[in-house]
Amino acid sequence: MHEATLAENILNIALEAAKQNQAAKIFKIGLTLGEMAGVEVEALTLSFDVLKKNTPADGAELAIKRVPISAVCNKCGKIFQLESYNFFCPACDGILILQSGRELLVDFVDCE
Amino acid sequence: MIKLEIKLMKNILGANDEIAALNRKLFAERGVVVMNLMGSPGSGKTTLLEKTLVRLVDKIKIAVIEGDLFTAKDAERIERAGVEVIQINTAGGCHLDAAMIQKACTSLDLNAIDLLIVENVGNLVCPAEFDIGENFKAVVLSITEGDDKPLKYPLIFKESEVTLLNKIDLLPFTNFDLRSAREDLITLHPTIKIFETSCTGGTGLEDWCTWLLQKVAR
Repeated sequence: MHEATLAENILNIALEAAKQNQAAKIFKIGLTLGEMAGVEVEALTLSFDVLKKNTPADGAELAIKRVPISAVCNKCGKIFQLESYNFFCPACDGILILQSGRELLVDFVDCE
Repeated sequence: MIKLEIKLMKNILGANDEIAALNRKLFAERGVVVMNLMGSPGSGKTTLLEKTLVRLVDKIKIAVIEGDLFTAKDAERIERAGVEVIQINTAGGCHLDAAMIQKACTSLDLNAIDLLIVENVGNLVCPAEFDIGENFKAVVLSITEGDDKPLKYPLIFKESEVTLLNKIDLLPFTNFDLRSAREDLITLHPTIKIFETSCTGGTGLEDWCTWLLQKVAR
């Protein structure tokens, strides 16, 4: 249940950004979450909905973009999108190095 | 009211990662190697730690940080091995974070330590996500948990430099498929180091401790 910690961090980042821009109300927070970031979206949304009450983000929704797992071969340099957790190169005998899929980002905050 | 879109691209764990980087810098300056020991509740982390300490306590200077939800039970066990131990109670929190380690380290004399072992809260999910400034992560998977765990909890096995397949003496009494577990671990993390250990029988502990000593010497 580290989603509660993540939700708290997301809320703090958004509130800080709104404050710096003299915005009174946040209505959307854009997130980028990698498929291998270990985040349970339902738990994250639930935690966020509890934490946002009585803050300027009270009416805010989370717009979540997922990033697939991609990896590059350390030998042939080819890039693959992974459907399973197999980090051996399908094209040669190299090893795949994770390139994307671990993202945990607040992309944008929509406010007024 | 003017509508405004603020572009941020900010790391959600940025605050933790910043403190982790400070911890890492401090550990490097003081010449301390730090292992983040993770695994499910009941996988045998504390027992493994006890057996490891007995073998290493005369060879190198070790301190332990014990993460526990509420109790000091594990810390008391480790203290009996004759090493300094700092207890962190997370009060229900499912993982240790970099700030907790930073605070705990203020009561440790890092100059007097070669190896700092952080036993994380028993959990295969959350601790993998939080950098505490360690040099490497180790994950304990016990035979009774099942051979399907590496692919069910890929992040922790991907993040860990070493896996200990613990309670290996129980293998004949379970349907744990050792070959399949090893295959899954290696496809997920081709360079992972695997030890098969039993803390009751002593299997594999010598190899594990030798490896750990090499990590400290490096």
